[in-house]
Amino acid sequence: MKELLGILDGNTFMLSDSRGDVDPSPDYPAGLFAWDTRFLSKWVLTIDGERLHALSTDDLQYFESRFFLVPGEPTHYVDAKTSVIRHRSLGGAFEERLTVLNHRDEPVVLTLRMEIDSDFADVFDAREARSLPGRAAKFVEPGRLRLCHQRDRHVSETIVTSTEPAEFDTDGLTFRIELDAHANWSTTIRAIGTIQGAGGRDVRENLHGYEQVRPEKQRELREWLGRAPKLTCDSETLEDAYRRSLIDLAALQYTGLTSQVRLLATGLPWYMTVFGRHSLITGFQTLPFMPEIARNALWVLALLQGGRIDDFRDEEPGKILHEIRYGEPGGFEDTPYTTYYGTADATPLFVVLLDEYERWTGDADTVRLMEYEARSALRWLDTYGNLMDDGYVWYECRSPGGLENQGWKDSWNAISYSDGRLPGKPRASCELQGYAYDAKMRAARLARRFWNDPAYADQLEREAADLRTRFNRDFWMPDRGYYALALDAEGGQVDALASNMGHLLWSGIVEESRAGQVADHLLSRPLFSGWGVRTLADDQAWYNPIGYHTGAIWPWDNSIIALGLRRYGFAEQAARLAVTMVEASRYFGGRMPEAFAGYDRRLTKYPVQYPRACSPHCSSAGTPLMLLRTLLGLRPHHDHLTIDPAIPEALGRIELIGIPGRWGRTDAFGRGRVSLDPE
Amino acid sequence: MADPTAEFFARVEQRGPDLLPTKARGTLRFDLRRDGEVDHWFVAINRGNVLVSHELRDADCVVATDKALFDRCALGEAQVVAAYNRNDVTVQGNLPLLLMFRRAFPSPPGTRDPRERIRERFAGRGRERERERQR
Amino acid sequence: MKPLVSILDGNTFVVSDNRGDIDPSPTFPTGLFSFDTRFLSKWELTVDGKRLSVLSVDDLQYFESQFFLVPGEPTHYVDAKLSVIRHRTIGGSFQEELTVLNHRDEAVELTVRLNVESDFADLFEIKDVKEKVGGTTVLVEADRLRLCYQRETFRREAIVTSTAPAQFDQGGVSFALRIGPHQQWQTRLRVETLVEGAGGRDIRLSIQRHHSRSPEELRQDLDAWLDRAPKLSSDSEPLTETYERSLIDLAALRYTPLVSGPPLPAAGLPWFMTMFGRDSLITCLQSLPFTPELAGPTLRYLALAQGVSLDDFREREPGKILHEVRYGESTAFEEQPHSPYYGSADSTPLFVILLDEYERWSGDRELVQTLEHEARAALHWIDRYADLMGNGYVWFERRNLRNGLENQCWKDSWDAISYSDGRLPAFPRATCELQGYAYDAKIRGARLARLCWQDLVYAEQLEREAADLKERFNRDFWVSDGEYYALALDTEGGQVDALSSNMGHLLWSGIVDDDRAAKVAEHLLGPRLFSGWGVRTLAEGEGRYNPIGYHVGTVWPFDNSLIAWGLRRYGFRHEAGQIAEAMIDAGRYFDGRLPEAFAGYDRALTKYPVQYPTACSPQAWSTGTPMLLIRTLLGLDPHGEHLVVDPALPEGMGRMELLDIPGRWGLIDAFGRGRAEHSRTPPHLTE
Repeated sequence: MKELLGILDGNTFMLSDSRGDVDPSPDYPAGLFAWDTRFLSKWVLTIDGERLHALSTDDLQYFESRFFLVPGEPTHYVDAKTSVIRHRSLGGAFEERLTVLNHRDEPVVLTLRMEIDSDFADVFDAREARSLPGRAAKFVEPGRLRLCHQRDRHVSETIVTSTEPAEFDTDGLTFRIELDAHANWSTTIRAIGTIQGAGGRDVRENLHGYEQVRPEKQRELREWLGRAPKLTCDSETLEDAYRRSLIDLAALQYTGLTSQVRLLATGLPWYMTVFGRHSLITGFQTLPFMPEIARNALWVLALLQGGRIDDFRDEEPGKILHEIRYGEPGGFEDTPYTTYYGTADATPLFVVLLDEYERWTGDADTVRLMEYEARSALRWLDTYGNLMDDGYVWYECRSPGGLENQGWKDSWNAISYSDGRLPGKPRASCELQGYAYDAKMRAARLARRFWNDPAYADQLEREAADLRTRFNRDFWMPDRGYYALALDAEGGQVDALASNMGHLLWSGIVEESRAGQVADHLLSRPLFSGWGVRTLADDQAWYNPIGYHTGAIWPWDNSIIALGLRRYGFAEQAARLAVTMVEASRYFGGRMPEAFAGYDRRLTKYPVQYPRACSPHCSSAGTPLMLLRTLLGLRPHHDHLTIDPAIPEALGRIELIGIPGRWGRTDAFGRGRVSLDPE
Repeated sequence: MADPTAEFFARVEQRGPDLLPTKARGTLRFDLRRDGEVDHWFVAINRGNVLVSHELRDADCVVATDKALFDRCALGEAQVVAAYNRNDVTVQGNLPLLLMFRRAFPSPPGTRDPRERIRERFAGRGRERERERQR
Repeated sequence: MKPLVSILDGNTFVVSDNRGDIDPSPTFPTGLFSFDTRFLSKWELTVDGKRLSVLSVDDLQYFESQFFLVPGEPTHYVDAKLSVIRHRTIGGSFQEELTVLNHRDEAVELTVRLNVESDFADLFEIKDVKEKVGGTTVLVEADRLRLCYQRETFRREAIVTSTAPAQFDQGGVSFALRIGPHQQWQTRLRVETLVEGAGGRDIRLSIQRHHSRSPEELRQDLDAWLDRAPKLSSDSEPLTETYERSLIDLAALRYTPLVSGPPLPAAGLPWFMTMFGRDSLITCLQSLPFTPELAGPTLRYLALAQGVSLDDFREREPGKILHEVRYGESTAFEEQPHSPYYGSADSTPLFVILLDEYERWSGDRELVQTLEHEARAALHWIDRYADLMGNGYVWFERRNLRNGLENQCWKDSWDAISYSDGRLPAFPRATCELQGYAYDAKIRGARLARLCWQDLVYAEQLEREAADLKERFNRDFWVSDGEYYALALDTEGGQVDALSSNMGHLLWSGIVDDDRAAKVAEHLLGPRLFSGWGVRTLAEGEGRYNPIGYHVGTVWPFDNSLIAWGLRRYGFRHEAGQIAEAMIDAGRYFDGRLPEAFAGYDRALTKYPVQYPTACSPQAWSTGTPMLLIRTLLGLDPHGEHLVVDPALPEGMGRMELLDIPGRWGLIDAFGRGRAEHSRTPPHLTE
């Protein structure tokens, strides 16, 4: 697997090899991408026709990096006489400052060339190597190179310019430079990607924040970090993970086309756009730290709530969206992803987050403003979600390009019986019922306190109580001592042992008398690997330690489970999970990936990488934050924050200073008092 | 068929409060190009109530497209966000207002409620099962 | 450059790509090596004919690593149905445990294959590609594959065996497998390397340590090694990390030479897995307070191999301490001079210096007495064979014109010794640090003569000579208009006037006049020499300065450790701390493992120290660097039977405790504290 290096700014990113070059690659989206479109698919630097080699790379900021290069293959005995520094940054435009250093004691003449191309592929095309309909053209103009792609009225363009005079041709630009002894030479090459509207304007140019210069980005990042609570603790690993998470969350924010708030891109490189579920989960995880993430998520998802039945997009009235895509294939309806609704969990999670948001912030206005959307979402649970008319939430895909499984484990084989058979559809996975229960309980509070509708509140509470009773009857498998992963269309129990039931603790749908058995399953083999809870237990037929949803470990999944364990009083188990996650984060430089492999910890000294996992990923970045909340036992209680720490001895002392909320700002302290056996 | 666009706006005016959130408020103007001319549809929304006219007035959100495409949107055949993403629709001003107004567009022709299809396939077995269990 | 993964045990080592595969490379030493010969040049795993991709690599210990692999190129959406774990260890022989895991719910049939080849290249042939003279044969036997090389009586052989039934052929070994659902299959492959002497016996069998050792034995050996070393606890996590890393790397670099005896430090992976006089001596000096067990055997071994006669090809002279030993084919057939090669002018005085320093720490007078003859021969060499120009300085000029080294000091690349304007001086040359070493050797030799050899006359003579040398040196080498010491003298007695790091060594040797030391310190820490990450080998602004030039602009950690030590000797506590801090900072970016060298770019330009292309890592004297820095920071110095502790820690380094420092006093502890309170936030986390 080639090492790839990325810089990003919201949903714009540049992914190159360790030399800084972009070569066309079928298996990974290398290049400059924005709005799901690739604006540079080739970006290769040569000196006198020779490729360069990396000495090292400085990862300066998430939007900025620097490469130290020498010509030719480095050898041990021959010193390079030229070196090149490639300093790139993103902030609207992509800029690369090239500095050539002559280390000779005499002048030298060099030819420096950048090979440039763009295929304007959609990020999906990059994955499947589809060829794009439409016409491509290249224009060599005075002082610039213009690469264009047109399909009907949709015009994408990449414009390349240089501060130093260059010879442009259709495949790139060339500099002939003369350097004195020990002298330097520099130029800045700029590539701007535009998607043109009907008037030939860049449709993004009126958006706030698009054209930003570096110092401003630096300042923004400083302010962002300044707003977050300060963490000091004995565990440097936890501090690193916290710091990294805050920076990654800053990096993943972008201003959407369709609204004026800051949105959260989901994961580099495949999911650099809004996903309903992940915006909501990350909003939840980050509430004690950055409540604006939750507010913005609620805003954009309310705006894009489903309004009609549209089979192509799996859309129904009241349903919360699965994802937005800006690329050409969505626009031309080659795919349903422009606004796609194929998920059954975002709708109840929307209501859950709305309530949680108010509990922390006291922002009653937003709750009142979103009454319509919240009620529509609750109605969806009882109507379009209740496909089988039996009071559970079900899903079945109708879109030709849609997802077979519409819970968070959305790969095709994620929902299975223990013996490996796949159930027929529709399916009702267990965590969806938990979310629905929680949504109703929380909405009842909102109806009573903010919507002046006590009758509706009573009704929701009755429904929730009824759902809980039925759920504990129909999903519980007494002989196994755990909850079924799902119900099949015939009402039969889909009996695989999976992490999903950890979410049930979080939702509160689990009967108190059963919680102990659930906790035991979660924290012991075959579900627990020693590095975390696997998506699927290792004795199940589909188990695969490197299966995306069938054995891999997802940090955000674990963060939800840990909070659920604390909800039911399993402070020690929650602490154990938190400490394994923190330990794992060390091996990823503090940056939790989307997922890592489920191999038994006794087999691996480090957590093994999941192939091509997204990183950074917003909900993985949210994970250390939610773990801190869990460890400190933070809970809003009316206008106060209550603190009930349960911290493993291994993590020592934790201080979180300046937690924002309806109380203004407050601090939390805790010391490691929970003793755990070593893994 | 007569004029899908006209019928669409008539229906929106009539059923506005059912289709749109009660908090909805604002003005939109649709400029629809047709044979070198432009039709203007001015839509004023106040607490979900809708008034439609042909006035050429400043609006919070101005949407420009071909009449033919808008007819397809009015029939549910085309979707306005996808059209926007391929530049067949251009928008000036308050884009969120258009996204809110999106709720007024109908489903694609021939769309059925997914629950009906499930009921046919399973002949209401889910509900039956539930009754069974209650007993 | 593809990321490379190495495991090693002394001078047996494997360098592979991050999949665990060895692809033949004509220019870089990938393969299985032992005693300078490559025994495997290809070791490539396939499943059903397809190469594998890596998920992650566990480098468990220096002698052990583990690769997690999947077939084909990994993609984001398609789950692999098979994974392969490759667990390898080295301990005499090379072993690889292959585990194939079937993640399917059904049985699978597949062919696992290893393509195996050996070119039996000598390490020198990899540096300068060359046709093999001898012949290679591959013998396929029922239960093993034998790769044999013969050139006259010189024989090398690699034998591949497997615990699971296997199909051997000329190109490797195959396994036709059927693995049940969720089952796994395993085999252990073993590659034995034979260095055959007379009668077909492996000549290494006579070396007790060379018997294959199990990972368990290796682990116990490492644990005992770590247990013997002093324990460091410090507020500075980078310091603790680099210290621990260094101890482990130094353990890894120990090897047993063919002449047998206790283990010695090899110089560095991958090019220098053998004895280098200079590197070994300096490593021992650096690590004396921590792992004193290396110094005695190193001194004995070098004494044993000391030159007794003249040999132009090997640049050997009576009394001279060796430069480099090699065991490969090209050395055996006298195409290369390394059996051993003596082309360095510094290892001889350094030998005397280590002998004295060793006694000061250990109190082992017996060894000093045992090596009296060799030490006197070394001191004699300084006055006789080194003084090529007859003017009382140490000079060098190569006599092996075919493949001898031009510069016979530590900066041994061809352009390392230059005038400020870039011109190169004629030969012979007398570099400044050689004079410092000679001065120090004489002073220390005098102490030994008085204390252990009972020869007061000789002691006084040495002291007179030293004093005379110091006086002449300060007259001839001092560049008065620049106020620094010249890098060297040329044949005409002219000053080779480039500003370089070499004069830092002069402080360590004590040859610098007290009233000039401040000027020297100022130069060393000034902007032309100090990059912010350390002292450059050559000052910015010199004609040959190149931030990525091997000895003309890069920063060498070991060089800096000696300079810091020298600065403390002359009382520049703050400056010494500054260098120590820069090194420890730099170490963080190499996971605590300081490389041989890194680039000399200004720190303001680079957030991280820039890697020098293909620098050796781990390298013995870089490994010794954190140890010498700790010694310098704590101000450790033996005085009679006691250890003096005089800490001078930079602000911000916090508390430092070194427990159980071994020496003639038994075990003793040292404590120190930085002046200002240490902030817990590492510098890179503050914006």
